[in-house]
Amino acid sequence: MTLWSRVRSWSHTAFHRSRMESEMDSELRFHVESLAEDLVRQGVSRTEALRRARIEFGAIERAKEECREARGVSILDEITQDLHYGQRVLLKSPGFATVAVLTLAIGIGATTAIFSVVDAVLLRPLSIKDPSQVMYLQEHWQDIFPGFSVGNFVDLKRQSTSFAALCASNLASFNLDTGELPERVDGEIATGNYFATFGVPPIVGRVFSSEEDQPGQAQVVVISERLWRTRFHADPSIAGGVIRINGLPTTVLGVMPASFDPLLNKTEMCVPARFTAEQRADHDDHYLNVMGRLRAGVTPAQAQSELQVIAQRLQQLYPLDDEGRTFQLQPLSAVLLGDQRLGLRLMLSAVGFLLLIACANIANLQLARSRTRQKEIAMRAALGASPGRIVRQLLAENVVLGLAGGVVGVFLAYWGVSWIIAHGPAEMPRLDQSRLDAGSLAFACAMALLSSFLFGLAPAVRSASARLNEAFKSSSGISGSGRDRIRSLLVVGEVSLALILMVGAGLLIRSALLVSHVDPGFDVSNIVVGRVGLPDPGYHDPNLAQHTFERMIAAASALPGVESAAVVSRAPLAGGGSSNGLLPEGKPFDLANLINSQLQIVSPNYLSTVRLPLKAGRDFTREDTRDNTLVTIVNETLARTMWPGENPIGKRFACCESGPKGRMDPVWHQIVGVVADVRAWGLDRQVQPEFYIPMAQMPSSAWDWIGRTMDLIIRTHGGALPIREVQSAVASVAPAVPIYRLSTMQQKISSTLERSHFDTFLLTIFAAAALLLSSVGIYGVLSYMVAQRTRDIGIRMALGASQSRIIWNVLGLGVRLALVGLGIGLLGALAATRLLSTLLYNIRPTDAITFAAVSFILLMVALLASYLPARRATLVDPIVALRYE
Amino acid sequence: MDKQLDLLQGTLDMLILKAVSLGPLHGYGILLRIQQISHDRLEIQQGSLYPALYRLEHQGWIASEWGESENKRKAKYYRLTAAGKRRLQAEAENWNRMAEVIAGILGTKPEEV
Repeated sequence: MTLWSRVRSWSHTAFHRSRMESEMDSELRFHVESLAEDLVRQGVSRTEALRRARIEFGAIERAKEECREARGVSILDEITQDLHYGQRVLLKSPGFATVAVLTLAIGIGATTAIFSVVDAVLLRPLSIKDPSQVMYLQEHWQDIFPGFSVGNFVDLKRQSTSFAALCASNLASFNLDTGELPERVDGEIATGNYFATFGVPPIVGRVFSSEEDQPGQAQVVVISERLWRTRFHADPSIAGGVIRINGLPTTVLGVMPASFDPLLNKTEMCVPARFTAEQRADHDDHYLNVMGRLRAGVTPAQAQSELQVIAQRLQQLYPLDDEGRTFQLQPLSAVLLGDQRLGLRLMLSAVGFLLLIACANIANLQLARSRTRQKEIAMRAALGASPGRIVRQLLAENVVLGLAGGVVGVFLAYWGVSWIIAHGPAEMPRLDQSRLDAGSLAFACAMALLSSFLFGLAPAVRSASARLNEAFKSSSGISGSGRDRIRSLLVVGEVSLALILMVGAGLLIRSALLVSHVDPGFDVSNIVVGRVGLPDPGYHDPNLAQHTFERMIAAASALPGVESAAVVSRAPLAGGGSSNGLLPEGKPFDLANLINSQLQIVSPNYLSTVRLPLKAGRDFTREDTRDNTLVTIVNETLARTMWPGENPIGKRFACCESGPKGRMDPVWHQIVGVVADVRAWGLDRQVQPEFYIPMAQMPSSAWDWIGRTMDLIIRTHGGALPIREVQSAVASVAPAVPIYRLSTMQQKISSTLERSHFDTFLLTIFAAAALLLSSVGIYGVLSYMVAQRTRDIGIRMALGASQSRIIWNVLGLGVRLALVGLGIGLLGALAATRLLSTLLYNIRPTDAITFAAVSFILLMVALLASYLPARRATLVDPIVALRYE
Repeated sequence: MDKQLDLLQGTLDMLILKAVSLGPLHGYGILLRIQQISHDRLEIQQGSLYPALYRLEHQGWIASEWGESENKRKAKYYRLTAAGKRRLQAEAENWNRMAEVIAGILGTKPEEV
C-alpha cells in the first residue's frame, strides 16, 4: 500500500517533472503570501510584510531542494546527470570509446546470437499442449533402442494405465500428384489418437478419428499448413476436397498449424495407420515411434515401472520376439533435442568466455585511464562529492559504455543469427525459428549491464578510495604496483580463457582434418544418387516392382555420359536403413545368438557401379535368382563378427524370412563374397556389420520393409550433372513417380559432416577473436608499463643499458604474463576438453599435438604483441626522460 | 506566554498528521493549526514544513488535492489517508509510552532508587 503510493509518487515525479515544479512553486508562494496577508492585517505595510514573511520562511530554494529530495527526485536527477556526464567523458576520448564499444559489441553480439539459437532450439517448449507430460517410448534390446513392433504397441496400449493417451506413428513419404511434376512429400502414418495425444487442434477442418483408423475405410489425409499454403494456395475450402496421394484419390480432412510438428520431422501430411489384424499380431518388426501423454498425477518413474511389468509379461508371451526386450520412457523433448544440447552448450560457454575476455580488456583500459583521471576525481572529491557518488558516476560512465556496446552488439547478433540460420546444419531442429525476440533483447541488455559492472566496478572502487593528497602530489610517474598487479591478473585470465577456446577449436579442426582423410570405402567421385519410391497400389506385385527398377537402371545406363547405373535399398551416406538379426549356421535358434546387421538389397551391378572392392569370393550375377541358391555378400566387419579368423566364403546364415514350416524353419543364405567396409552412416561413424542380397532373391515381404523405395545410383564419366535426363528417364519408366533427394555422393558426404564442420567453424572464429582480444590485452598492459617507466628506462639507458637489453626486458614481461596464462589455460583446457570427447573423431581430448601447437601459436602472438611496446621503449631518449620531472 | 520550545527531532511528522487528522488543511493552515493547538508554545521552522509534507505524501500517509482557500485562492490541501490514520495512532501510542517512561525516570526521587 505504501509501496504503491511510493511508486506512484515516484513515477509521478519522473514523468510530470515540470508540473510538479510549478505546483511546488505556487504552493510555497501561497504560503508566503498568506503569511504576508496576516501581517498586513496586523497593520504592517505590504512590502514590509512580504519581506518579513520571506525572512520568516527561510531559504526557499533549500526548502524546495529538500522537497524534491523527499520525493526521491534528486536520485533520479543525479543518475541522469551521471549518465550525461559519462557520455560527455566518453565522447571526449573517442579512441578509447570506439575500441571499448567494439570489443564489447563482439562479446555481446556473439553471446546474444548464440543465446537466440539456444533459446529457439533448446529452451522454447515444444509447441504442443503440456509438453512436459508427453513421453517418447522405445524398445530396448541388447544395446540398441529400436522402435516398437505393432504387436508390442497394441499390447502395451491395452495393458497400460499410466497414459491418458498412447499413440504411434512411423515416418513415411508419399508421392503427391497435383497435376504438374509429381512431388515426394515427407509425412507420417499415425494412429487415430495421434493428434489428441499432442492436444493440438487443426486450423481448418478436422483430424481423422479412431473409426477412420480402421482397415477398409476410405482414404483420408491431414495436411500441414506449409503444404496447404504452397500447394493449395491456402484454400479455406480444402477440407472435404480430394487430392491424389500415391496415385489414390484421398479426401483432405483438415490442416494442422505450421507450429505442429511434434517429431520435428517437417511432416507435411499424415494418414491413418489402419493396422491390419496381421500387423497387430506382429511382434517382430520394430519401427514405430510411440508417444504417450501421462495421465494426470502419474510420474514418469511410475509409468516406467509399469512398462517394466508389461515388458516382462510380453517376454513370456512372445519369447521368440521379445526375449530380453524391455521398454524405455523419456520425455519427448529430451529425445528430440538431446543431441543438440552438448554442441549448443559448448558454443554458449565459448561466447561466454569471449565476453569475459572482452570485459577484462575494457577493465584494463579503464584502469589505465583511471590513473590519468585521478586528478579529476580528486578534484570532485575535494569539492564535496561523496565516495558513493563518485563510484556511481564512474559506474554510470561504464553503463553508458555497456549500453552502447549492447546496441552495436544487437546489430551484430542480428546479422549473426541470420548467418547461422542460412549456414547452420539443416539437421538441427527448430534452428530456423531462431530470431532476436524480446527474450534475446532482454538477454543482450542484461549482458550489457552485467559486463559494465564487471569491467567498471574494480576501477571505480579503486579510484574512489584513492587518497586525495596522493593524487595531487603525484606529478611524477610513480607507478602503483598494486594496480599493475590487477592489470597483469586480468591479462593472465584473458590468455588462459583464450587458450581454452583455442585448444577446443584446435581439437575440432584436427578431428575434422582426420575425418576428411577417412576413406569412405568406395569411389565417391562422379556418382549421382536419387531416391525412387513406387506407390503400393500401382506396384504391389513384387515382380512388377523389380522389373520397374530393372527398366529404370537400363534407361539410366543408356543416358549419354553415364558409365553404369544400379539400385540399392539405402545408398551409403543417405541416412536410414533397415537391420536384421542374422543366425549363423550351427548355432541354436535363440535371440542371444542373433547378430544385428544392416541389410542392403542391390541390383547385380551395384558393387561395380560404386566400385566397392571385393575382398574375397565373387560378385552377384544375373543367375542369382530365387530359382538358384540364395546368396549374400557380407562386409568385412560382419565376416569378422560372425566368424572371427575363419574364411566366411561358403558359410551360411539364416535371415529375413522363414521357410514353409513356420517361424522356426530357417531360410539359409550362402556367403559368396566379402566386400570392403563402407562408411555408410558418415565418415566419422563406426562401420556396422552389413550384408547385401540381390534384388532378384529378396523375399517379397521385403518390398514392404523398404516401402518399394530404392536409391538409384548413377556413375557418370564426369562433367555436368544429368539431373533433367535422369528425371525424364525415371518418368519414362514409371510415370507420376518422382526421383527425389537427387544429389552427388560428394554432397551427401558433406551434408553428413555439416554439423561437425559448423561447430568447428564457429568455435574457430570464437577462438580467433579470443586470441586477438587477449593479444590486444597484452599489448595494452605492456604499452602502459613502458609509458609508466619512461624515467626508469631513461636512467638505465643513461647508465649504459643496451637497446637489446631493454627490448628483452619488456619482451620478458610479456612472455611471463603469457606463460602464466598459458599454464593456467592448459590446466583449464585439460579439464574442459573432456566435454568434447564425443565430438572428436580418432583423437583424444588431451591430444598432445593440438595442445603444443596451440600453445606455440599463443606464445608467438604474445611475443608479437609485446614487441611493439618493447620497440617503443628503446626509442626513449634518456635526456627527455630525465627531464620528464 | 511561555517561552517557545524547539521541536524535538522527528515530532514534526506526528504533529502534521495530527493537524490534518482534524480536517483537510493547506500548508500554511497546518502551520497555524499546530501553533494554535500548541498555544504558540512550539517553534516550527517554516522551511522544514514542506519537505516534511512531501515526505509524508511520498510515504502515503497523507494525500493532497488542489482546492480553494478562505481568501478565494488556489491552495493545495492535505488530508489524512487510512494508512496515515493508523500511523498517527501508532506514533501517538509510542510517544505516550515514551513520555511516561521518561517522566517516570525524571520523577524518580533518591529514596526510590
